[in-house]
Amino acid sequence: MARVKKTSGRRAVTVILLILVLLAGVGAYVGWYKFFREEPQPEWVTATPEMRFKYGSIGAEHDAGVPYWIWYVLPRMFPEKLPGPGGYASLGILWEEGQELPIGFTKKVIGFPRVANTCASCHTASYRSKPGETPTFVLTGPNHTLNLEAFFRFMIDCAKDPRFNADTMMREINLAADLSLLDRMIYRFILIPITKKRLLERERQFAWIYRKDFPEWGRGRDDAMNLTKYFMIKFPMDNSIGPTDMPSFWNLKKYKPEKGHLMNFAGDSHDARSVIIDSALGVLGAEPHNKEEFLEHIKWFEDYLGSYPAPTYPFSIDRRKAAAGKVLFDKACARCHASDRTGRRVPAEEVGTDRGRLETWSKKAAIEANRVVADMGIERRGLVEDNPSGYIAAFLDGIWLRAPYLHNGSIPTLRDLLEPVEKRPKLFYRGYDVYNQVKVGFITSPDEAGLVGMPCEVVQGKRVCEIERIGTLYDVSQRGSGNLGHVYGTDLLSNEKDALVEYLKTL
Amino acid sequence: MRDQSDDWDDSKPAKKKCVAVFLILLLMIGGVLIALAIRFGADTPVEYVDIEEHFKYGSTGGERASGFPYWIWKALPRICGDKLPGSKQFPGQELKAVGFLYEGDKDLPVGMSKRRHMGLDRVFLNCAVCHTSTVRDRPDGTPKIITGMPANTVDLMAFEKFLFTCAKDAKFSPEHIIPEIHRLSGEHLKALDRYLVYPFAIYMMRDRLLMLEDRFSSMLQRPDWGPGRVDTFGSAKALFNFPMDKAPSSELIGVTDFPSIWLQGPRKDQQMQLHWDGNNTKVEERNRSAAFGTGATPATLDRERIKRIEDWLLTREPPAYPYPINQPLSFKGASVYKQYCAGCHGANGRSFEGPDVGKVTPIQQINTDPHRLDSYTRDLAINQNLLYAETGDPGERFSHFRKTYGYANMPLDGLWLRAPYLHNGSVPTLRDLLEPSSRRPKTFYRGYDVYDQAKVGFVSTRDQENGRSFFKFETTVAGNSNIGHEGKRYGTDLPQDDKAALVEYLKTF
Repeated sequence: MARVKKTSGRRAVTVILLILVLLAGVGAYVGWYKFFREEPQPEWVTATPEMRFKYGSIGAEHDAGVPYWIWYVLPRMFPEKLPGPGGYASLGILWEEGQELPIGFTKKVIGFPRVANTCASCHTASYRSKPGETPTFVLTGPNHTLNLEAFFRFMIDCAKDPRFNADTMMREINLAADLSLLDRMIYRFILIPITKKRLLERERQFAWIYRKDFPEWGRGRDDAMNLTKYFMIKFPMDNSIGPTDMPSFWNLKKYKPEKGHLMNFAGDSHDARSVIIDSALGVLGAEPHNKEEFLEHIKWFEDYLGSYPAPTYPFSIDRRKAAAGKVLFDKACARCHASDRTGRRVPAEEVGTDRGRLETWSKKAAIEANRVVADMGIERRGLVEDNPSGYIAAFLDGIWLRAPYLHNGSIPTLRDLLEPVEKRPKLFYRGYDVYNQVKVGFITSPDEAGLVGMPCEVVQGKRVCEIERIGTLYDVSQRGSGNLGHVYGTDLLSNEKDALVEYLKTL
Repeated sequence: MRDQSDDWDDSKPAKKKCVAVFLILLLMIGGVLIALAIRFGADTPVEYVDIEEHFKYGSTGGERASGFPYWIWKALPRICGDKLPGSKQFPGQELKAVGFLYEGDKDLPVGMSKRRHMGLDRVFLNCAVCHTSTVRDRPDGTPKIITGMPANTVDLMAFEKFLFTCAKDAKFSPEHIIPEIHRLSGEHLKALDRYLVYPFAIYMMRDRLLMLEDRFSSMLQRPDWGPGRVDTFGSAKALFNFPMDKAPSSELIGVTDFPSIWLQGPRKDQQMQLHWDGNNTKVEERNRSAAFGTGATPATLDRERIKRIEDWLLTREPPAYPYPINQPLSFKGASVYKQYCAGCHGANGRSFEGPDVGKVTPIQQINTDPHRLDSYTRDLAINQNLLYAETGDPGERFSHFRKTYGYANMPLDGLWLRAPYLHNGSVPTLRDLLEPSSRRPKTFYRGYDVYDQAKVGFVSTRDQENGRSFFKFETTVAGNSNIGHEGKRYGTDLPQDDKAALVEYLKTF
C-alpha cells in the first residue's frame, strides 16, 4: 500500500512538474509574443522609396515607441493641451488624407503595435497657393509648420496629468478599440503605467523646454544642438539657447567633404552620413537595438537623400526679370553662395547673424558625442571637434521652400532679407503654409490676408485671421532669434531686389 | 475494496470530508458561474426576417455600449417629462413630442432596436430614426410610413438635449427611476434587478450620458436644427473631443438635411462623392461613419446585421409619386430638365448618367450656404483616418475622407420626398427652388408631413396641428441661408411655364 502510494506520489510530483514546465513554456511564449515578437511593417510601407521615407520604421519603436492605443487616445483625452481642433495635426504635424498615421510617424508591431518617428516628421514641407486648397507636401523639405517643442511638451504634460491612469485611459480606448481581455489587461497593468513612467523620465531631460526665460522655438524650429547635448551626451543644463530652422535635406550629394564642405548650420558635422546617424540616434532616443539594421537604414537614407532633387518653384516666374536678377546675383551673392566658399564656414563676425546657435555647442561636446557614438560601435567621421565659429554659406537649391530665412528663421521672406535690418519685420507669424509669391516665402502676417484670401472673422470686436490661430508669433528681440546680419544686397534698388528675388525662384 | 474504504473511513476521515466539502463548493461555484453566464452573458438582438422590419427595428449593435435598459428607457420620459414638452399627451409613446414615429401602439418608435445584452434588454437608435418618415395626402389622411426617406419630422437636437438634461437632473437616480420601473413593469421587477442590476445600470447610463454630454454640449449650443436636420460632422468632432472653443466660428455650424438613402448601388458603382460636400467616395465607409450615430463603434458594430441593411439599400427604390402627373406638361419639362439639370443631376430619376453627377461643384459656383462646407475641415478628415483602425480587418479603416471645396451634385431619385431642398433644407419646395433666392420664402415651417402637390414638397405654412407645433425655419439664421443654386444655369430665370413643366417632370423621379 505504502509503496504504491509512494510511487503514485512521485508520479504526481512528476506530473505537476511537467505541468509547471509546460505552463512556464506557454507563459514564456505568450510573454515573448505579446511584448517582443517583431513583425515586419506591411508591404506597402516599403514598396516605394516615398512610402518608406514617410512611414518606414528606422527602429525607433524599441525605445521611443508609444503603445498604439495610448498614442491614439491622447489627443482625445487631453484636447485642452493642444492649440486647437485636429488632434496631432493641430501641432503642425503633416498628415496625408487616407493615411492612418501622420507623415514621419511609423507603426510597427514589437509585441504590440507601437508608434514612433522617422526623419520625415521634421523633414517634409507643405505649401498651399491659397487657403481653400489641399496642401502639397514636399519630401525632404523643412517642416516649417511643426511645433516640435509643443509636441514634446504635449506628451510629457499628458503623462503628468492625473487622468493619465489606467481607468480613465481604458475607458477612452474601449470607445475606439475592441481589445481582447488579455490585451486589456496588458494595457491596464503594464503598458499604461510603464508609458507614463517613461514619459515622465523624459521631463528631466527636457527641463530646458519648460524654462520660462527661454523663448518658444515656435513652429518650424528646434534647438538641435541642445537636444544632442541633453539627450545623447547627457550634459548638465546650461544657459544656452539656439533654435534653428528645420533644414531641408534634399540633394545631399552636393556636400563634398573633400572640398571642405561642412554640414549643419554652423558646420559642426563632417558629412551627410554623420548628420543622418546623429539625427537618427536622436529619433531612436537610445542605442540602436540592432546595429546592422540601423546602419542599413542609414545607408538607405544616404542614397535616397543624396539624389533626391530639390523642388522646382511651382508658380509662375517672370523669365526676363529673373535674367536681370541673375546678373545681380552674380554680383552680390555668388561670392558666397555659388563659389568655393559655398558649403563652408563664414566667420560669425563677417556674416553678423545671431550668435545663439553657436553658443549651444562646443569642442568638448563634440568630443563627447563622438565618443558616445563610437562606443556604440558605429563608425563615422562625426562632429567637428572645435568650437563653432561661424555659419555655413548655404547652397541655395530649392531656396524658395526654405523660408523663413537665416539659420534661425528670423526673416520671413527673401524680399525681406534684402532689406536692411531696421526694415525687416520684427514680429511675424510662422507656421502658416500659404505661399507668398510676391515676397517669396510664406504668408506671415494677418495684414497679408487680402493678398491670398485668408479667412478672418471678428471675435469680441477684434479681427482674428486664420494665421493668428495657426501660426506662432516670432519676436526677433528674443534670445537666439535676432534678425541682424547678412546685410548683403540690402543696398540694391527696390526693382533690383525684386529682380534678384525673381531669379532666386529659379534655384 | 473494503480495505480501501476502511482506509478512507478510519485513517483519514477528516481528509475525506474536506474533499467532499471542496467538491460541493466547486460545484456550487460552477453552478453560480453558469447561472451568471446564462443571466448576463447573452448577446442576442431581436431578429426580423422581413428586411424592411429589420431596417425599422433591427440592431446595428449600438445597444452594446449605448443601449438604455428597456425599462429605464420607458421610465425616462416620466422622470424627465418637463424636459420633453408636449410628451404627456402621448403616454407610452412620449417621443412623438420630438417627431419620432410609432406604428400602431408599439412601445418603441421606428428607428429603435432591442438587444439582450449584459442581462438586460437594451434599446438604442438605428438607421431608420433619421431615414424614415411619413407622408399624408391631406390633414385628415393617414400618415404613410416610408423607409429610406429623410426623417422629416424627427428633431434630433431636441432628443439629444432631452437625454443630456435628464442625465444631469438629480432625478436620474435609482430612488426616482426604480419605483417608476416597478410601476411600469406591473410590479414585476425581481429582487436581483431591483437591488443590483438596475441601480448599477442607472449609474452606468448616467455616466455614459454625461461623458457624451461633455463632448456634445458645445455643438448643442448652436442654432436649433429643427426637425429633419443634423450636424453630422459636428458630432464627429465631438467624438474626437476636439477643443471647439479654440475653433473659428466658421467651423462651428454644419447643420444639414437628413438625406434619403435608397439606390446606393449606382452611387457606389459610379464612385460618387457622397455626403453633401462629397467628402467620401466609399459607400461602406460612409455607412459606418453614419452608424456612429446609432452608437455603433468598432467594438460594438453588428457587422452582419449592418450588412443586411447595406445590401438592401443598394437596390431599394424610392416609391413613385402617388398623385396625378400632367403627362404633356411633364413631357415638356423633360426637355427643360435635359437642358438645364441633367449634366449635374443625371438623365432622370433612375439613370444617374451625366458628366458631373456625384461630383463636387466649387462653392464659388454653386454659392449655397457655406457653413456646412467650412465646418468640415481637413484636420477632421485626417483624424477620421484613425476610425476603425486595428480591427483585425485592415480594409475597415477609414481612408476615403477628403476635404472638398464645394457641394456635391446629387442624383434626384425620389426627389419628391426629399423636401425641403438644398443641403441645409432652406427651401421648402421644388417650385420655390426655381425662384431666385430673393423670392424664396424667408421663413417657413418644417416638420409637417402633409404633402403640397402644387409646389412639390411638404406644406410649410402651418405652424401647428392639434397642439403640435412645427419648427419655424428662419433663413437669416447662420447656416440656414437659402442663397445659391440660382441664376440662368440653375433655371431660376426661366419663364413661369417652363418652371411649372420642370416641376411636373421632377415628380416622375
